[in-house]
Amino acid sequence: MRSKPTRASSTDVADAVGLERDLRLVGQRVIRHDARDKVTAATAFAADWAMPGMLHGVVLRSLYPSARIKNIDATRAASMPGVAAIMTAKDVPRNTLWTDVPGQTTAVGSLRAKLHVLAEDRVRHQGEPVALVAAETEEQAREAAEAIAVEYELLPGVFDPAQALEPGAPRVHEEGNLLAHWRVCHGDVAAAFARAAVVIEGDYRTQFVDAAYLEPESGVAWIDSDGVITIRVSTQVIEHFRDVAEVLNVPQNRVRIIGTYLGGGFGGKEDVTVEVYLGLLAWKTGRPVKMVWSRQESLLARAKRHPFRLRYRTGALRTGQIVAQEIELLADAGGYAYLSALVLLYATVTAAGPYRVPAVSVDARVAYTNNVPTSAMRGFGAMQVVFGYESQMERVARALGLSPVEMRKINALSRGDTLPVGQVVDTHVALPELAERAWAALGELTPPRAPHVKIGRGLACNFQPYGRIVWLHDWSSAWVGFEMDGSLVVRSGVPDVGGGQASSLCQIAAEVLGVPLEQVSVYIADSALTPLAGTTTASRQLYMSGNAVLKASRELCEQLLKAAAAVLGVDRDAVGLADSAVRTADGRSLPLPELLHACSRMGVPRSHLGVYHAPAGEPVDLEKGAGKVFPDYTYGAHAAEVEVDTETGVVKVLKLVAVHDVGRAINPLSVEGQIQGGAVQGLGYALMEDVVVEKGINMTTSFASYLIPSAVDVPDVRAIVVESGEGLGPFGARGIGEPPIGPPAAAVANAIEDATGARLSVLPLTSERLARALGLM
Amino acid sequence: MKPAPFTYVRPKSLAEALGCLDDDGDAKLLAGGQSLVPLLNMRLVRPTTLVDINALPGLATISPTPDGGLVIGALVRHTDLLASPLVRERTPLLAAAAAHVGHRAIRNRGTVGGSLAHADPAAELPAAAVALDATLTIVGPAARRTIPARDFFVGPLVTALEPREMLTEIEIPGPVQRGWGFAEMARRAGDFAIAGVAGIVTPAAPGRGRSSTARLVAFGAGDTPLRLPGAAALLAGQPIDRALARAAGDVAARECTPRDDVHATADYRRHLVGVLTEQVVLDCAARLGS
Ligand SMILES: Cc1cc2nc3c(=O)[nH]c(=O)nc-3n(C[C@H](O)[C@H](O)[C@H](O)COP(=O)(O)OP(=O)(O)OC[C@H]3O[C@@H](n4cnc5c(N)ncnc54)[C@H](O)[C@@H]3O)c2cc1C
Repeated sequence: MRSKPTRASSTDVADAVGLERDLRLVGQRVIRHDARDKVTAATAFAADWAMPGMLHGVVLRSLYPSARIKNIDATRAASMPGVAAIMTAKDVPRNTLWTDVPGQTTAVGSLRAKLHVLAEDRVRHQGEPVALVAAETEEQAREAAEAIAVEYELLPGVFDPAQALEPGAPRVHEEGNLLAHWRVCHGDVAAAFARAAVVIEGDYRTQFVDAAYLEPESGVAWIDSDGVITIRVSTQVIEHFRDVAEVLNVPQNRVRIIGTYLGGGFGGKEDVTVEVYLGLLAWKTGRPVKMVWSRQESLLARAKRHPFRLRYRTGALRTGQIVAQEIELLADAGGYAYLSALVLLYATVTAAGPYRVPAVSVDARVAYTNNVPTSAMRGFGAMQVVFGYESQMERVARALGLSPVEMRKINALSRGDTLPVGQVVDTHVALPELAERAWAALGELTPPRAPHVKIGRGLACNFQPYGRIVWLHDWSSAWVGFEMDGSLVVRSGVPDVGGGQASSLCQIAAEVLGVPLEQVSVYIADSALTPLAGTTTASRQLYMSGNAVLKASRELCEQLLKAAAAVLGVDRDAVGLADSAVRTADGRSLPLPELLHACSRMGVPRSHLGVYHAPAGEPVDLEKGAGKVFPDYTYGAHAAEVEVDTETGVVKVLKLVAVHDVGRAINPLSVEGQIQGGAVQGLGYALMEDVVVEKGINMTTSFASYLIPSAVDVPDVRAIVVESGEGLGPFGARGIGEPPIGPPAAAVANAIEDATGARLSVLPLTSERLARALGLM
Repeated sequence: MKPAPFTYVRPKSLAEALGCLDDDGDAKLLAGGQSLVPLLNMRLVRPTTLVDINALPGLATISPTPDGGLVIGALVRHTDLLASPLVRERTPLLAAAAAHVGHRAIRNRGTVGGSLAHADPAAELPAAAVALDATLTIVGPAARRTIPARDFFVGPLVTALEPREMLTEIEIPGPVQRGWGFAEMARRAGDFAIAGVAGIVTPAAPGRGRSSTARLVAFGAGDTPLRLPGAAALLAGQPIDRALARAAGDVAARECTPRDDVHATADYRRHLVGVLTEQVVLDCAARLGS
């Protein structure tokens, strides 16, 4: 029986010939091959790799957030035992990388941002790489790095984005400290506020956050027998082979990146990490080199999530309908641009939330400071604003006496609505249902266990783009082919960050081509040998590479079925693939290996390369509200129940329900894992995670000071998967990698207000902040 | 990171261990390693010799004393405190304190002696030892000496131990203290406390004219486990009720001397000491049935 009328070719074919073919594998709770491998410790992570004659590389980093480098003396270090190479900026063929910072307002103009591979005459943040050492052992490399004498002259620094934008502030870069500025003007905001029955103002702050993956940045590089600089590395982006080539000044086809299964990425491995340094040291020494950043190093110097200041003014009618949003955003880029301008773009586009708001103005800026740099992290700007808009929603609802669910229902976007940036929402928005289900799933209210303990509940919704900005013309490719025995091979350049990216591709190929999952082998993330699939970022891989595999599989299926029809002497429409065989409408079957041999004799290819191009568009002027920015969005709603100790301010989250419309769950186990993992990471963000940076100095460089929740600190997250079938991905799937991290902070803050009447507006929501808000101290 | 190179020795007797300390002025004792190994790995300490005391005989026992107290060997693990019926019966405060130390894996390795000798101002066992008025036995090259717990803790990670000395056991005096209380607040399960309080209220001895006394000790609230004499004095000889407990909390908050760090400000720690003192005092009273 057909379960959905929109199923495409191979399934339709099967249906047409009367073979019962519901989806066999898509939608099943499949145990991922990579999960099994990780549990049995079979996975060779990047740091598990070793090669004969391998050196160990380390990075010497700046001690100061803002200083001039007057001199670097490595003579003593160079003569130390085991040292094979020491490199400073002058040894790097192309030390300066320029990137175009996109889509500026006229106030800023277009900007080219500069990044040095190794610091030249000055350092702009603590932990900035200054020199490289390769030695026979890691010990020797570290000792030599400590022996490099760097003479610094301290310079004034600026450590706050607002101060950085004041006239006369110390300049982090010559061009000035304003890195990007986006604006949205939609409708007549002043007139809309004049109509409002209630106007709520709020000022919110979010913090620096670390990706804190289990696996720190790591890799091994060597010059292979063909002379190609080969780097086996933990990365979300194998396309960084181009950056390595640029730095080494070699042709791009002389660098190969082999991506490993990651022990977590979360955006922290989206920018270049160790690969450029590994490439340099292998190129310089001619020997294999390994580099593994220590936890302290990773916490000290790796790009963090942007802290934001969010200023909201929200106007609503007595009915609860939001009529105006006036929003100001200011983010801290730290010492270098990285992806700050794009992070800010995501924040700008989503700042008003998944709601229909007729008049919106957004003024968003990101400034350079001498703090640790910030860049991509799960949610990418679109998550920081959730704390702003969902706190505001709650406060408006309270002011008007509306329930949290009613408030969302009144304002939720729906198909056909236009976002403030002019994008028309053209897929289904299930927000009212998601909010209702999340709230209902909290069940009975937990009774307080003592008189000084209060219980409260909060709701927060979000929407998160999946897929890259449409004017980036995103594409992905995948190769699907049969071996002669009927086993199937999938090749795709997708890095698997732990979300089951590779496994889902296998499921899709096996589904379409009628073979059991065990018959599929998948090769991923090799820039030389797998078709490029683009980055595992922006919640895009299932959508993009899933579509590429789907396309390749369907076209291969078509190719094979045509051949099968010829072999069997029937119409093309009378054959289908199932259970590793060709089946005909009249009950005959041809085992797959026989068909494949026949193909071989007839010169019919047994493989296909599929390329999927996302719907593309041209750059839009956000201010004028001209059109589409993102392909589509994933919507979610979380409901939290908290217990607050009104004497100490300690908050305990008793329940968290996380509901997302994922379009279609290819593997519900993976989807639930993403939702639970994201929600828990969101709870860490809500309650404890905080990179403390004082005057540019990072105070939280170990897990004793940078707190992430452990299993006992979080409740069992109840994940509810809603499938509208409305996504742009394979079988109607939407991206779910980033979305679940968005709502928890606002849901918890709203629950705290519900319990105590106190509104917290600074993250993380620590017990000390609550104690102050409760007037306890 | 990994530790700087060191020589490792595993003596089989106390005399041999003390000899090792004598031989190398930069030697360090290794007990459970739960505080020392992280310091080694981060190279915050670089001893030239590590003297592993885990093979020393007779230091891992818990023995009752005739007055109703206990003698606890330096190598007794936190887990042993939790599992021991003797500890639960005779020094329930110590069992409650041990339950708050780290996670199970840490409690399985970490030792009573290591915890006291390490003297983290936010650690539970030092505060419990002071509250229980314990006496520590220290052996050195020349002699054996004893020192009251309240005099042992000198500053953050600093004790009255001399470089060539070793802590061998602690004695908790009887009779059994039934009026005990223990409370702490940590930002995360298993972490060192932001602040905590351990307390003992001793009832008036019937017919002998002695009024009740109290010992209250805060941790995470000063450079050492911090006695709160003002708060304790308030309780002396008084029937304990909520108002008195609150008053004691107020005094405790004033007399503690916490500092700011990345986890909390001194002000918040002060507030916590107040709230937790009130709670501990009420718990002591409830356990006494007063
Ligand atoms: C993640 C984590 C969380 C933790 N949480 C807590 C917590 O919440 N509360 C808490 O109190 N502790 C906590 N700890 C520390 C733990 O309690 C340690 O067990 C304790 O502090 C030290 O005991 P140890 O036996 O491991 O000593 P070691 O680490 O072996 O030694 C510590 C120090 O004491 C010295 N030493 C050891 N034994 C003796 C002796 N007999 N005589 C003289 N000197 C000696 C050593 O030379 C060293 O300087 C935590 C540790 C970790 C890793």
